[in-house]
Amino acid sequence: MEEKEIHSDVLVIGAGLAGIEASLLLSSSDRKVHLVEKTSYTGGTVIKFEEVFSNMECSTCMVSPRQQELLQDKNINLLTLSEVEEVKGSLGNFTVKINKKARYVDLQNCIGCNACFEPCPVSLKNEFEEGLSERKAIYTPCAGALPNVPMIDTEHCLRFNGKECTACQEACMFEAIDFNQKDEQLKLNVEAIIAATGFTLFDSKQIPKYGYGKIDDVYSAFEFERLYASNGPTEGKLRLKNGKTPKSAAIIHCVGRDQKGYCSSVCCLYSLKFNHYLKSKIPEMEIDEFYTDLCIPGKSHQKFYEKMKETGTNLIRFQDINVDKQGEGITVTYTNGGKKSSRTVDMVILSPAIEPRADSSKLAKILGISHDDYGFFKEEDPDVSSVTTSKPGVFIAGCAQGPKNIQDSVSQASAAVGKILSQSGDK
Amino acid sequence: MERKIGVYICECGPNISEKIDIDKVIDAVSLPEDVAVVKRYKLLCSVDGKKFLEDEIKKQGLTHLVIAACSPKQHEKTFMEVCENAGINPYLYQLANIREQCAWVTDDKDEATKKAIRLVKAAIRRVRYHFPLEKKEIACNPDVLVIGGGVAGLEASLQLASSDRRVYLVEKTSSLGGMVDNFEKTFPNMQPGSNLIKQKILDVNKNENIKVFTDSIVEELLGFFGSFEVKVKAKEQDAFVEFDVGAVVLATGSSFFDPKQTPQYGYGTLDNVFTAIEFEKMNKSGKISLKNGKTPKNVAIVHCVGRNEKGYCSQICCMYSLKFARYLKEKIPDVNVFHFYSDMCIPGKSQQKFYDQTKGKHINFIRSSNIEVTKKGDNVQINYSDEDGKANNLPANMVILSPAITPTSDSSQLAELAGISQDDSGFFAEEHEKLNPISTSTEGIYIVGSAQGPKDIPDTLIQAEAATGKILSSLVPGRKIEPEVKVSHISESFCIGCKNCMSVCSYGTITFDEEKKVCVVNEVICRGCGNCVAACPSGAATLKHFTFKQLYQEILEAV
Repeated sequence: MEEKEIHSDVLVIGAGLAGIEASLLLSSSDRKVHLVEKTSYTGGTVIKFEEVFSNMECSTCMVSPRQQELLQDKNINLLTLSEVEEVKGSLGNFTVKINKKARYVDLQNCIGCNACFEPCPVSLKNEFEEGLSERKAIYTPCAGALPNVPMIDTEHCLRFNGKECTACQEACMFEAIDFNQKDEQLKLNVEAIIAATGFTLFDSKQIPKYGYGKIDDVYSAFEFERLYASNGPTEGKLRLKNGKTPKSAAIIHCVGRDQKGYCSSVCCLYSLKFNHYLKSKIPEMEIDEFYTDLCIPGKSHQKFYEKMKETGTNLIRFQDINVDKQGEGITVTYTNGGKKSSRTVDMVILSPAIEPRADSSKLAKILGISHDDYGFFKEEDPDVSSVTTSKPGVFIAGCAQGPKNIQDSVSQASAAVGKILSQSGDK
Repeated sequence: MERKIGVYICECGPNISEKIDIDKVIDAVSLPEDVAVVKRYKLLCSVDGKKFLEDEIKKQGLTHLVIAACSPKQHEKTFMEVCENAGINPYLYQLANIREQCAWVTDDKDEATKKAIRLVKAAIRRVRYHFPLEKKEIACNPDVLVIGGGVAGLEASLQLASSDRRVYLVEKTSSLGGMVDNFEKTFPNMQPGSNLIKQKILDVNKNENIKVFTDSIVEELLGFFGSFEVKVKAKEQDAFVEFDVGAVVLATGSSFFDPKQTPQYGYGTLDNVFTAIEFEKMNKSGKISLKNGKTPKNVAIVHCVGRNEKGYCSQICCMYSLKFARYLKEKIPDVNVFHFYSDMCIPGKSQQKFYDQTKGKHINFIRSSNIEVTKKGDNVQINYSDEDGKANNLPANMVILSPAITPTSDSSQLAELAGISQDDSGFFAEEHEKLNPISTSTEGIYIVGSAQGPKDIPDTLIQAEAATGKILSSLVPGRKIEPEVKVSHISESFCIGCKNCMSVCSYGTITFDEEKKVCVVNEVICRGCGNCVAACPSGAATLKHFTFKQLYQEILEAV
């Protein structure tokens, strides 16, 4: 009889809210978890947001206790700056190869005082802040990132480009900076895999009529989130490119919906949240919400909408829309029921569709699972379960499976854990 | 034993030492006799730092510990572990946050030092009044009660049973299957609804780990996470079946808004006006026909019935209304369908495709408001305002109303039985809308499916599976449960029996002892929120580790 080795560790890919939920649950059932995260920080996309709809809870306050719990959990092996390279085997016995990039800052020694940032002579655009502010070659993406330990961007660090520079090392009191760290390739054996790699937003540049990338003060949703964030580039001050305070704004829903071919289910709500953001900072602001069909599903969202209506926002339904620069302002021209009208505003915020990450099909291939017509990971059958895939032992959770809100992402993560724990029984 | 307090100040590298004159702090707090030692250290949270503290506690024979360092968010637990390793009770320690609250909030070294002295003195004064708290452990029962035999209850039961848990599944009607049993097909895949439940029902019935009670209700549910006592009563019988479980899954489903409450739709007064569920049943019976037996030619489907009355969008009505158009087309190929809708709400990756495939020559979409259904000859007529607000009308043979999803009529009763709360709309309320959508204010009681809020079948299944994840990871056979240590206590001699505390407790922790006429805290369920302490007029309720005396003594030095 052939003997088979069975492992009980679990690999979780992605340290956003879904990945964190799955890891913590697995750990509390005494499973060892390897949590692989591509970036240098945990918390995923949600930590870009200042507040979440519809109760306008502070997003980082909501997430940070979970992040802290994760970092202190002895069953969870958090691998940041890491990507899954290869997966072999089957349920109960997967062999996984992981590429772990060096951070060049020691996670144990560093206390996150940030004293290394200032002396670094390199400045470049901060990607986390959508390029709206600058960072150094040694950096954390934003204040409050967890683990609160910087990384060195070797593409831009002088030392890694043939020059002698030890500015950050000299500034560090804790001998935390270690230029000798090496990238590693790790080999893990796991019983099961949960892919919770999140989403990105449709690139509004693909539709020129929105003026994105060409007209100043036309912002994408992520940019606007960071402009409003108290730990963001302007510390939450809403200013136009010319430094003036905006008096009016247009929020345009459904950007990229037709191109993607689905309703992303959260955009109407996050657009209403933007309305709230604007009004809370500049109460007298004139706001137009341009929408096609208002989609605010679920028991707790209508009230949020009603409250927004009370603020005097103009709700304008459109079939077609165009954004142009004319003189001082930005002109939004739209048709509704065949009639053409226009509004002039100081700033435009685009609410783009949710789409899979650029590397999701590559990861699907590595995992041996399929993706659907839109590039999201494909569930085996939504009427059976939305977290199981065509490959036993590989589960999916969160927006990597399809657009959804936080509640449903977290539920899918718990569900994937339920599947793993019930499949294998109690060990 | 003589009290010996050790005070250790962390330099946190330059973070604290550059902003606070630590030697000044040491001088200022060294006076009292019971402060045996005051020292500074480079980085207390480091491996060396922790070792240093452990050695110090043992060497100096310390009984209490004060650390002046960073936020308790970051390292409170770290130093509690140090205490435990060194053999003193972890609650005989206090952390003064002189980094985030002093060093990092001002550039004025004098001010920062002054405040640090106050905070450290306050911590010393407080720690004198600390008393040791002991962790408790209780045995847990790994079995589970599932209430509701619909698709969510079946899914949860099967998953739990496959993990060798004993499951008690209680269904109030005479058969398993729930709402889905009515559907010929489900959107968006148009697969038979029976596919979803038939196999599950067979599996449940033959699973030795699952005990099914049909025609039964849960009469009593007492206890707490890990140890609930359950009484189940079969209908029209007096005898109870009693058993114990460790967790409960509420999967009691939902109901529909009753269109009779909105007379403008003519439901109950006009012939050939049907509700969604009536139409589902008619379709499943195999023939779609009018009251007079004839086949309808023009059918109106009215969306959003009761949406304004209920105050929320039920999320699935647009989709099931589209499904009805499919039903009609399949059975009556030349039928004309008219959708009267306000906003098309078809969220999710697979729904738009379904909508696009449903749209067609004879399927019309009319964005409208102010809908009214009246009689016109042998037929009916839909009067409505179009998008521009103009009045218009359309004759039809049949009207199908798509009503909002509502909580079941017995949901308040169930919420009370389980000791959980309901939201403004009457659905079961989750512990945290985003991070804990299936947990409730009572630990160990989970809410899944449309009893928690309107949702489609895939999301219902996900919640059932999620409850399994929560239960299997927290109720592990053989493992003990550690309840919260910092809990409330009500003094029997001070309590005047006013029951204020009972009305503010969110966790159903406090009961009234009728004999002694006092309120009693069940320390196993208490989460230590302190509501009862604030509400108590006689000072009988106190919160361990946050007693009046501890807080008062701390404040005396701090302000």
